[in-house]
Amino acid sequence: MKRKLFIFSLLSFVIVSFRSVNEIQFEVPNNFPKPVYNFSKNPLSENKIQLGRALFYDPILSRNNMISCASCHSQFSAFTHVDHALSHGIEDKSGFRNSPALMNMAWQKSFMRDGAINHLDAQSLAPITNPVEMDENIAHVVAKLQISKLYPQLFFKAFGDSTITGEHTLKAISQFMLTLVSANSKYDSVMQKQSVFNEQENKGYILFKKNCSMCHTEPLFTNDEFRNNGLKIDTTLNDYGRYRVTKNKADSLKFKVPTLRNIEFSYPYMHDGRFKKLSQVINHYANGIEKSKTLANELQKPILLTANEKVDIIAFLLTLSDKSFLFNPKYFCPKEIFSEATKN
Amino acid sequence: MLLSFITFTNAINAQSASTIGFSFAYGSRVLNIDDSLNIPNDSTFLRITELKFYISNIQFLKNGEVVLEEKNSFHLVDANQIIPNQILVENKQNIAFDEIKFDLGIDSITNVSGAMGGDLDPTKGMYWTWQNGYINFKLEGTSQLCKTRNNEFTFHLGGYQQPYYCLQTLHFKTNNSSTINFKLDVQKILNQVDLAKTNHVMSPSEEAVTLSKIVANAFNLLQN
Repeated sequence: MKRKLFIFSLLSFVIVSFRSVNEIQFEVPNNFPKPVYNFSKNPLSENKIQLGRALFYDPILSRNNMISCASCHSQFSAFTHVDHALSHGIEDKSGFRNSPALMNMAWQKSFMRDGAINHLDAQSLAPITNPVEMDENIAHVVAKLQISKLYPQLFFKAFGDSTITGEHTLKAISQFMLTLVSANSKYDSVMQKQSVFNEQENKGYILFKKNCSMCHTEPLFTNDEFRNNGLKIDTTLNDYGRYRVTKNKADSLKFKVPTLRNIEFSYPYMHDGRFKKLSQVINHYANGIEKSKTLANELQKPILLTANEKVDIIAFLLTLSDKSFLFNPKYFCPKEIFSEATKN
Repeated sequence: MLLSFITFTNAINAQSASTIGFSFAYGSRVLNIDDSLNIPNDSTFLRITELKFYISNIQFLKNGEVVLEEKNSFHLVDANQIIPNQILVENKQNIAFDEIKFDLGIDSITNVSGAMGGDLDPTKGMYWTWQNGYINFKLEGTSQLCKTRNNEFTFHLGGYQQPYYCLQTLHFKTNNSSTINFKLDVQKILNQVDLAKTNHVMSPSEEAVTLSKIVANAFNLLQN
């Protein structure tokens, strides 16, 4: 009996150590709050992250095997679809919104411009299924992955099971997205007293805190809520935002407040990509607010800015660029994984 | 999950488990997916092409108190299955009960908990994608009453947030039996739906809530 107990304890020790070797602790940047994502239900591991990274860059997720997540979310533009007001997917079909930039996903309660998705794991299903994005379905994706040369072994490495499921596919993609953390901008180093703003940036920061930070709350630069920011409705799209999800009139024209991190690179701006330049965005808040019943409380009083002050705010916004994020090799297309598969 | 569950529980002595079964009918007729219902003088040529739903949170009660409940209780029931739709709930101690309770659909917490496996895996086709959440109940078919493409009607009922919360809790008084069989009568549902007007419900809405209540009332406990 004692011997059995000993073997049992030894075995459990081995299992526990195996787990702890493979599991990676999610690192929360110094000035950031506690993440929203529940890591205990999807503990990070290097193999799962790498599987998710391969899936993120693999067009196998789309009906015609030509569109990947990265098609509309490219790293150099903070994982958005640069240069396109409305993002386009399969067979050049156009969507009705600008694809959101992807970063700091672990701190988001909901996803999409209208918050239609309540959990990061469920997020990828939307573009996979959307007829103008990837036009696939998850059951068929799983079938394609299962007969591929590459994926059964990657799933085995990641989950200890080469039988591929929707759950494991989605959780792996989540893991890669969770690693997309941007917290290394000039702003961050100033906050950590490792750097200083120049005079213009400093003026801009003071103006930002007075006029913008109620919604674009530091350090994530979003309060993760929905607001009507006074954009005139585009009658070619008639997009009422959050109302589409809740069917509640009080939510009409409200959209998720986006982060401003890496905004220098994530143009065009707004849910429909109507502004190409940051100066147009600032001009909208200073001069272009359209009053309506659901206009954000924060925008009821006009934001008065001189021409110089507008430039100061932009100077501050540029301190939110994080080159170590935009060019981090950990997020590159994993060519080594794909070339390994073609060799075999 | 259902399949593996059945195989797994086969080993359990029938005495120490309760079997919950589901059968499907259209009034007095047996309902087979895709087959003609053979309703005399039916000018609408009614046919059911899909009938799937989630049963969850199965509990047994005695004098109003929960005495036995199934852990991780989520089951996808599909009328288009060759094997009978049976759920085995282990009852090792032969606990006596006089009532059974279960949910039709998936609760709110599970709906906001991300990707799940087994019967809850999104590959099962019971999951919405543009606005995520589980579909509690699917009924599809054709009727000449529907002036739609191929005369199709599609009811995908679900919604985990108020005011469009669709989950229904069903209670039935039962004798202390090891087999409990339910019949879902689709006629009871369609009798209360004007298919000419309502034939396409596919998102959380007031109609989905109303229909979910109608569906809940179409389950009958068959007396042994």
